[in-house]
Amino acid sequence: MSDTTQFRVLDFDCPTCASTVERALSNVDGVQHVEVHYATGRVEIEYDDSVATPDAFAETIENQGYTPQPA
Amino acid sequence: MNKQSITQYYRKHRKAIVTATSGLLYGGGWSLGYLTSFDTASAAILVLATIVGGYDIAKTAYHEVTNRTLGIKTLVTLAAIGAIVIGEYWEAAAVVFLFSLGSYLEGRTMRKTRTALQELLEMTPDTATVRRDGELQEVPAREVEEGEVVIVKPGGKIPVDGIVVDGESAVNQAPVTGESAPIHKADGDEVYAGTVNQEGALDIRTTGAGSDTMLERIICRVEEAQEAQSPTESLIDRFAKYYTPAVIVLAIGAYAVTQNAILSLTLLVIGCPGALVIGPPVSIVSAIGNAARSGVLMKGGEHLERAGKIDLVAFDKTGTLTKGETTVTDVEGFGVADDEVLSLAATAEKKSEHHLADAIVDAAREQPTAATDGGATIAQADDMDAGRQSTPDPDDFDVVAGKGVIAHADGQEVVVGNRALLDDRDIDVPSRVADYVREREERGETVVHVVRDGDIIGAIALRDELREAAPGVVAALQDPGIETVMLTGDNERTAAAVAEEVGIDEYRAELLPEDKQSVIEAYQADGHVVAMVGDGINDAPSLATADVGIAMGAAGTDTAIETADMALMADDLERIPYAVKLSKATRWNVLENVGLAVLTVTVLLAGVLTSYVTLASGMLVHEASVLLVILNGMRLLRY
Repeated sequence: MSDTTQFRVLDFDCPTCASTVERALSNVDGVQHVEVHYATGRVEIEYDDSVATPDAFAETIENQGYTPQPA
Repeated sequence: MNKQSITQYYRKHRKAIVTATSGLLYGGGWSLGYLTSFDTASAAILVLATIVGGYDIAKTAYHEVTNRTLGIKTLVTLAAIGAIVIGEYWEAAAVVFLFSLGSYLEGRTMRKTRTALQELLEMTPDTATVRRDGELQEVPAREVEEGEVVIVKPGGKIPVDGIVVDGESAVNQAPVTGESAPIHKADGDEVYAGTVNQEGALDIRTTGAGSDTMLERIICRVEEAQEAQSPTESLIDRFAKYYTPAVIVLAIGAYAVTQNAILSLTLLVIGCPGALVIGPPVSIVSAIGNAARSGVLMKGGEHLERAGKIDLVAFDKTGTLTKGETTVTDVEGFGVADDEVLSLAATAEKKSEHHLADAIVDAAREQPTAATDGGATIAQADDMDAGRQSTPDPDDFDVVAGKGVIAHADGQEVVVGNRALLDDRDIDVPSRVADYVREREERGETVVHVVRDGDIIGAIALRDELREAAPGVVAALQDPGIETVMLTGDNERTAAAVAEEVGIDEYRAELLPEDKQSVIEAYQADGHVVAMVGDGINDAPSLATADVGIAMGAAGTDTAIETADMALMADDLERIPYAVKLSKATRWNVLENVGLAVLTVTVLLAGVLTSYVTLASGMLVHEASVLLVILNGMRLLRY
């Protein structure tokens, strides 16, 4: 089943940081669509909930060096 | 402080601690090298400063490279490693520390911009007092169901969208509509979640709660708007993707030609596209946030940027420049009684949905006696409607768009309409009728003729009061040189009188709805960037055609929010000059930021080529320019 989740990342330094996180998230298994916005810091992920969990996304964001917060 | 709270403190302030430690080590290492001869110790401390400050930067750079998105941090990491390799430890530590400090300050200021929406979010109360089974219960606002009755005490925030069913009060609607003055609310009036009840207690029947409220929809729209990129942002984003690899190629090329490692590393540092890519989104997010707090919804950066180029504002007349509440000001019978003219016109117009028809029918209802329907008496009228006359239905009825109506009642043909309709039907207009009509139209009134079986028996003058703010708003737009135009279906004389009263530059009269669209297209063909102001529903084609469609009074109508590029939540004309000026200020702000970024890189490049700029001073100027564009963009939050 497809589900969506949102995070907010307030410590992006530049638009490239946002694209880096977007690319990293899109490589996580089960992710169908991901949008990361630099200006508002909003991260929206559409995913297959039988394959992925929001925890995995939060961990991916942290691994890239940023702090995910619940939206 | 226990171990757990120390860990929490460290996590929360990690960036500041890392930057400060790197700065202290950098200062210590530099002093040691400058004041003493302990060169090795000094170098070791400077390398340590680079590692401490650069660890996070290098880690992100690693992710950038593995995700194939080369950014600023990759350039800084390459420059720091390069400087250490060639023995320029001081430069390596300086670059890393200055970048780290710049990022920390940027982060703090950007966070303020990113949380500008927070003020709107905080408007929504968490709990609501609901009457359930005759008892008052406090429940989370999101759990209130549609149709329940919520009680809001004086001074309390209204937690739901709904209709007042009991009580009377003044409500401050600023969070939703931007209106500063409180609005009186009583039985049957609509109220919005997030607004503040100022005087008496209100019982409100819920029409929407939780995420189904006007405030939630506004917040959602603002967020979407902030994320929709403007043309400048998209252009710079595309440019940045190629720019960073190009800087790396340039640095390698410079080294290959000159064999000067310092020059090549300095090129890496000053080539960072920071200010250029950060500037435009900060300006646009700040402007959209500011507008939302003032009751103006901007649909996205693209519209905001286009609105900055507006040089002509077209206003719909009825409901926009005027209050949209037409009333009958005079009825004149020619050979018949005045009230007979009004009653006959009301019968003909009864089934029309035109605003003039509503005014005529309302005026006839206000008459104390029934005159011409061939039977109604005062007694009957009393029975029906507390002393007011009831209007009989016509036998048949046809609307002639933009001209009037033709109806039959009691075996008579009744025509109610303008001069064009009379001309179409070859009806002669006696000079005393024409004189009456001219005199009324010159006062800015609209006149309809009433014709029975081919003879004019009277005329009805109607007036739609101007909004008090209209002349001031038109003057405020004309002040910075914006042309103003009024579009109306009224005849030439009425339009001229209203245009003069408002002080508008130009007017176009006798327009059908589709004509308004053609007029806007003609202005666009003349090279104007046109904004159209309307009420969002019957002006939909012209709002869509204009470069920027501005819908008024959008609170309560989702259609207006959906169709317009800009929506004024309240029916407040005075927001228009503000919105236009904010858009222009935003456009300038974006240009200033782009200009500043390009100028910084150009000056630094010239400095590098003439050996005036070092690795560290390049980074210092670069970071200062990034901070400057963020602060410049944030000015729009307080515009």
